[in-house]
Amino acid sequence: MSTLSDRLSAQPGEIIDRSSKLRFTWNGKGVTGFAGDTIASALMANNVQVVSRSMKYHRPRGYMTADYWDPNGSVQLASEPNVRSGHRQLQEGMKVSAQNVWPSLDRDVRAVNGVLGRFLTAGFYYKTFMHPRSLWPTYEKVLATFAPGGKVDLDAPSGYFDKRYAHPDVVVAGGGPSGLAAAIDAARAGAKVMLVEHTHHLGGHLLWGSDGDRAVLAQLLTELAEADVEVLVDSTVTGRYEDNWIGISQRSHPGVEERLIKARAKMLVVAGGLIERPYVFEGNDLPGVMMSSAVRRSMAMYAVRPGSRAVVLSANAEGDAAVEALTAAGVEVAAVVDPRNGQDLVRAKGSRRVESVELADGRSVEADLLVIAAGWTSPTSLINMAGDRPSFDDSCGRFFPTDPPETVLVTGGMAGDGTTEEIVEHGRATGDLAARRASTVAHRLQAATTRAQSVDEIEPVWAADSRIALGRWSHPGLYRASTHGIVDYSEDVSSKDLVAAAKEGYDSVELLKRYTTATMGPSQGKLSTVNTVAILGEARGETIAEVGTTVWRPPFAPISLGALGGRKFEPIRVSAMHRWHEANGATPIIAGQWIRPEHYGDPAAEVRKTRSGVGLIDVSPLGKLDLQGADVPKLLNHLYTNTWNKLPIGGVRYGIMCAEDGIVLDDGVTGRLGENHYLMTTTSSGAATVWEWAENWLQTEHPDWDVSVTPVTTAYASMNLAGPKSREVLSSLVDDIDLDPEDFRYMQLRTGRIAGVDNCIMWRIGFTGELSFELHVPAGYGEAVWRSVMEAGAEFGITPFGLEGQRIMRLEKGHFIVGQDTDGLSLAPATGLDALIKLDKPDFAGKPELSWALENYEGPLVVAVQPVDPNVVPGEASQIIDPIDKRILGRITSARYSPTLERSVCLAQVEPQFATAGSRLTIKMIDGSLQEAVVQEHHAHFDPEGERLRG
Amino acid sequence: MPSVTNMLRDKNQHGQRRYSAFGLLRKGLSNQPWPRVWREVPLKDSYDVVIIGGGVHGLATAYYLAVNHGITNVAVVDKAYLGSGGSGRNTAIVRSNYLTPEGVAFYDRSLTLYNSMADDLNINVMFSERGHLTLAHNDSSLRTMHWRAEVNKLQDIDSSVIDPAEIKKIVPSLDVTSEARYPILGALYHPPGGIIRHDAVVWGYARAADAYGVEMHQKTEVLDILVEGGEGRDGKGAGGQVTGVMTNRGKISAPIVVNCTAGWASLISDMAGVDLPISTRPLQAAVTEPVKVFLPAVVVSGSLHTYVSQTDRGELVFGAAVDPYNNYSIRGSLEFTEGLAGHVMELMPGISRMKLLRQWAGLCDMTPDYSPIMGATPVEGFLCDVGWGTYGFKAGPVSGEAMAECIATEKMPAIIAAFGLERFAKGDLVGEKGAAAVGH
Ligand SMILES: Cc1cc2nc3c(=O)[nH]c(=O)nc-3n(C[C@H](O)[C@H](O)[C@H](O)COP(=O)(O)OP(=O)(O)OC[C@H]3O[C@@H](n4cnc5c(N)ncnc54)[C@H](O)[C@@H]3O)c2cc1C
Repeated sequence: MSTLSDRLSAQPGEIIDRSSKLRFTWNGKGVTGFAGDTIASALMANNVQVVSRSMKYHRPRGYMTADYWDPNGSVQLASEPNVRSGHRQLQEGMKVSAQNVWPSLDRDVRAVNGVLGRFLTAGFYYKTFMHPRSLWPTYEKVLATFAPGGKVDLDAPSGYFDKRYAHPDVVVAGGGPSGLAAAIDAARAGAKVMLVEHTHHLGGHLLWGSDGDRAVLAQLLTELAEADVEVLVDSTVTGRYEDNWIGISQRSHPGVEERLIKARAKMLVVAGGLIERPYVFEGNDLPGVMMSSAVRRSMAMYAVRPGSRAVVLSANAEGDAAVEALTAAGVEVAAVVDPRNGQDLVRAKGSRRVESVELADGRSVEADLLVIAAGWTSPTSLINMAGDRPSFDDSCGRFFPTDPPETVLVTGGMAGDGTTEEIVEHGRATGDLAARRASTVAHRLQAATTRAQSVDEIEPVWAADSRIALGRWSHPGLYRASTHGIVDYSEDVSSKDLVAAAKEGYDSVELLKRYTTATMGPSQGKLSTVNTVAILGEARGETIAEVGTTVWRPPFAPISLGALGGRKFEPIRVSAMHRWHEANGATPIIAGQWIRPEHYGDPAAEVRKTRSGVGLIDVSPLGKLDLQGADVPKLLNHLYTNTWNKLPIGGVRYGIMCAEDGIVLDDGVTGRLGENHYLMTTTSSGAATVWEWAENWLQTEHPDWDVSVTPVTTAYASMNLAGPKSREVLSSLVDDIDLDPEDFRYMQLRTGRIAGVDNCIMWRIGFTGELSFELHVPAGYGEAVWRSVMEAGAEFGITPFGLEGQRIMRLEKGHFIVGQDTDGLSLAPATGLDALIKLDKPDFAGKPELSWALENYEGPLVVAVQPVDPNVVPGEASQIIDPIDKRILGRITSARYSPTLERSVCLAQVEPQFATAGSRLTIKMIDGSLQEAVVQEHHAHFDPEGERLRG
Repeated sequence: MPSVTNMLRDKNQHGQRRYSAFGLLRKGLSNQPWPRVWREVPLKDSYDVVIIGGGVHGLATAYYLAVNHGITNVAVVDKAYLGSGGSGRNTAIVRSNYLTPEGVAFYDRSLTLYNSMADDLNINVMFSERGHLTLAHNDSSLRTMHWRAEVNKLQDIDSSVIDPAEIKKIVPSLDVTSEARYPILGALYHPPGGIIRHDAVVWGYARAADAYGVEMHQKTEVLDILVEGGEGRDGKGAGGQVTGVMTNRGKISAPIVVNCTAGWASLISDMAGVDLPISTRPLQAAVTEPVKVFLPAVVVSGSLHTYVSQTDRGELVFGAAVDPYNNYSIRGSLEFTEGLAGHVMELMPGISRMKLLRQWAGLCDMTPDYSPIMGATPVEGFLCDVGWGTYGFKAGPVSGEAMAECIATEKMPAIIAAFGLERFAKGDLVGEKGAAAVGH
């Protein structure tokens, strides 16, 4: 064929701007297009016939639908794989190349697969490459080189992605005539409307329709401009989740590569139109075989001539319109095959493009273009996601909604057939109905928040659906001609493969699709689902309705990970004293979201200075919950295993919390600030868990309790002043608090002024084992108080200490850390704190399990252990084993060198029979060597009587 | 019993049944179809054993009953199609670097069986031992990795903690710089871990079991379990004896009924009057569009609640932790994909332009200690192989082997002795949460 594609003269509805030429490259070669072109239309205008190679057989492929869904149209941009060339707009300087070709698009050596095709039937890989077993990794590597798709540029900087929340009354998915009309009328009825169109242009099929169609479109666009509608083009409704939670991928927001809009829509109108369905016959994937809509779109919008001599298979009015449009554009229509009159085609022939078409009547017609108008697929994904199971109408050859929920309305081609006017009318009525139902939803939401009586049980009264239903025009059921051809283009699955697989027993849709991978590829089965089901029906002797369809899962169209992830949004938390730490040489450590000082250069020195004088640590990440109300003791009794009835005002108590299974969940101290006012502290990592835990009980089991829980972790800056000199340091900083040890005792709290700052809380506790005061000061004054304490401490040789110093001191003191020294199996008795489990309370979380455990627990116990060689510090997680049979008897959970005792100290979990004081244990070190260790009498390696902290 | 390969070599009316390159060639040349993977046969009204659930567990149990114990009058019934449950929805990670000695020994046996499966079942299950990395982003997870490594080493499992430089060598696409929000401090590296074609495993067991005469009955839903003489309602429950099942296709008598229904397990056992400490939660997963292969190993990050691998077809397969509530819905959520994408981009910032193609969910039967419940129940003849949570695919072969032995010998095999239902009454939990919560 001599003249292939090129530009037509100016077309009335064209959207290219011929005055703006764009240069780009195709496989390294410089070419041009116009502003407004898609990559595909520009390539077509440049006579590019073959855009890709098929996945398995590497057959040459050209444009077939020339839109987003074109299974052949994915190309590689510089740093972006799998770009839909039928959708992406051309830009100056774009570097476009074919993907999945080797070494080049023209000469693809893997095309030999095509020759071997009869042996590479669907699922062939399950049946071979098994021997010898040792070679499978090699086979696998070779197979992996056949992976379809483009290349990810892992070094490309991540783009700017973002998210937005929206609360529209109505989201309309699809900007064709029905969607436009729905959006306009919904807005006119007072609804806040978002109209979302997948392509770059509103109008749907009117864009390539008749003059009359374009006039209707112009009218609708005028009305739209006047209506108050938010219009999003180049945007896709990607998913409909529970309660009309709608995901929208917006690719057209200025400065943002792609944005995820999350809309809680009161109503969803699905107006997604129809997708033209390919026809299965031999040669149906040759370049030059195109859908009628693709041909018309290319000519009308981009003024590209799709071929020079055409055969048109037309089973409907759209096909007939394509014949007219082709003729008008000067393309010779050599034959029209009309299945409505029993005509059919047999096969298309050609090597790199269609050269001739063989018809059922025996004729062979020379042509370089074969246009297919064989019917439609209804892309019912969104209504699927709303729980509907669409039903197949044999006489129309497509699926229709069955019974979507009241908050999801369908219009346009998915709802039925009609003239343009009827479609627009249906759209308008749908918009109006959507607006009315949206107000029902709005009232319901309001009622839900303002009335004590839940509205959940009351069925809402929905505005009745009085729309005049669209018709259903009968259409021949055209799926496969007498020959076999490709069904799933992106997966290279043929009808022969499907029939063979069905005969092999993969004869339900789900099994078939898994075995052959039909519908599983990048075009998500938009083009292949119905043909797959039809051919399975053929093999089983069943109708499409009997075979049923597969469930379409989100997203409706692929969405970038960037848009889903949004801006990097991992918060970093630092305390009010962070600047001071940075200025004073702190080495940071990441602890969950927090960044805090690990040490200030020499943790051992920090320990020694604290034990001999005084030290200050920032403990702001400690979880803090403000508890108020008359029933706080009930809550405390429920959460902690010990008793809280008699805690006096000014008192502080330690407790452990267990989950319902008796496993230790958290621990910490709670103090009583006033009659009905308490402050609870949790571990740093447990802060969120304990808050949720408390709320969970209060909201589900005990809504009648008078307790308010407010997380105040960051409302206070917290620091712990520890060491024998701590009282002296503090004495110059307080005026309204009496520090006299006879008056302010261990496990008591005081409120008052510290370093001139009011409303501070201080309590005497001792994780480090020293006399210590934990100060909670209003966060805004944190740094100021910290500085004052450091200044006041200067004369006593005060040292700041970090997390590491604290860990050493708590280990010397034998305090366990929940989650480190205990684990997901540690029932409370494992900690040895049986005395803190009060079974005489009527109930508490974990009580049934703990009542059993106190009697019967035989699991590992937490014990203090010292290696015989004082210089050996076993790695944490070193196993304690039976040296003979290597059986695991426990493990080291914490280990440090103690600067105070000048020897290594550990906590461990061991089987109970080895937990008694004096037991000798064998530790298998991380390097494999064995070391001896001895179980200690007391958890505390240091000051077991606790004289220091009571001082 | 002859091996499957031999059984399949015996020609029947279908001609060549055994899969091989040669077979493909012959079929290709002769245009002859392959015989059915499993037969379609009428449902009988009684069997020696009825297995409920046509996932990997049910099918493997049926296969080993036939091949190891010669018990072939067996029906596997499934309410949908074979592999419609978790077995067709999982992300196919196979590994043995668990935390408890019981867990390690058990999963290691499964790995061994997976290794020889292509030969044993005569189907390419595409077991790709590509290595499995569990990243640690903070000192406490690093400690857990060391713990697992130490337990693993004592059981001769290839498993060790490696540093960021070594991680980068194995998986170049990972951001191991200290700039990352959650820097990678190290990883538990388990070279024998990998991924497998889950469907091939399901079909392979079904085909092989079929070759021995086991019957597969799809679209056969169990509506009730028939029990006589029990203490509970309608003669069900403790002390009772199973007599069969009632299905949508009628009653089937059987002295032994096995519950292999994973996400539905507590509903099924309830039909027999047996309470299981199981809650069912959805677990979601997603895949991207295919791109050229760049990710050579399986990467798991507990702190970021995500894991990822790349199939030979080039798709990235993602998963996460179970949804935080009990539910039987298998619809995916938008939040899941958002969290997932954000987290994998923390690990591999270069993939932001890859596109998510499909998301889905399956049901997981969670137990309190993240270990399964296997063997006898208080109802005589009613056995279970459930509690597979988010990690049960890899356990399919060893579970099938052990359950078959349990049925045939009426004794609990040593390798699953720790997993009996009675452990919940005795307090002998087998805690695998530390190794199974996100790691699957
Ligand atoms: C998203 C996801 C990812 C996962 N990733 C992994 C992983 O990487 N590695 C891993 O090891 N595990 C993984 N798992 C877990 C794994 O999939 C399951 O543990 C495993 O497949 C369970 O297999 P099964 O045979 O016991 O059950 P299933 O495969 O779930 O089979 C149960 C069957 O019972 C049938 N059934 C239910 N009720 C009835 C009834 N009344 N009558 C008849 N039939 C009935 C169902 O139709 C179903 O086919 C994952 C799970 C999910 C959901």
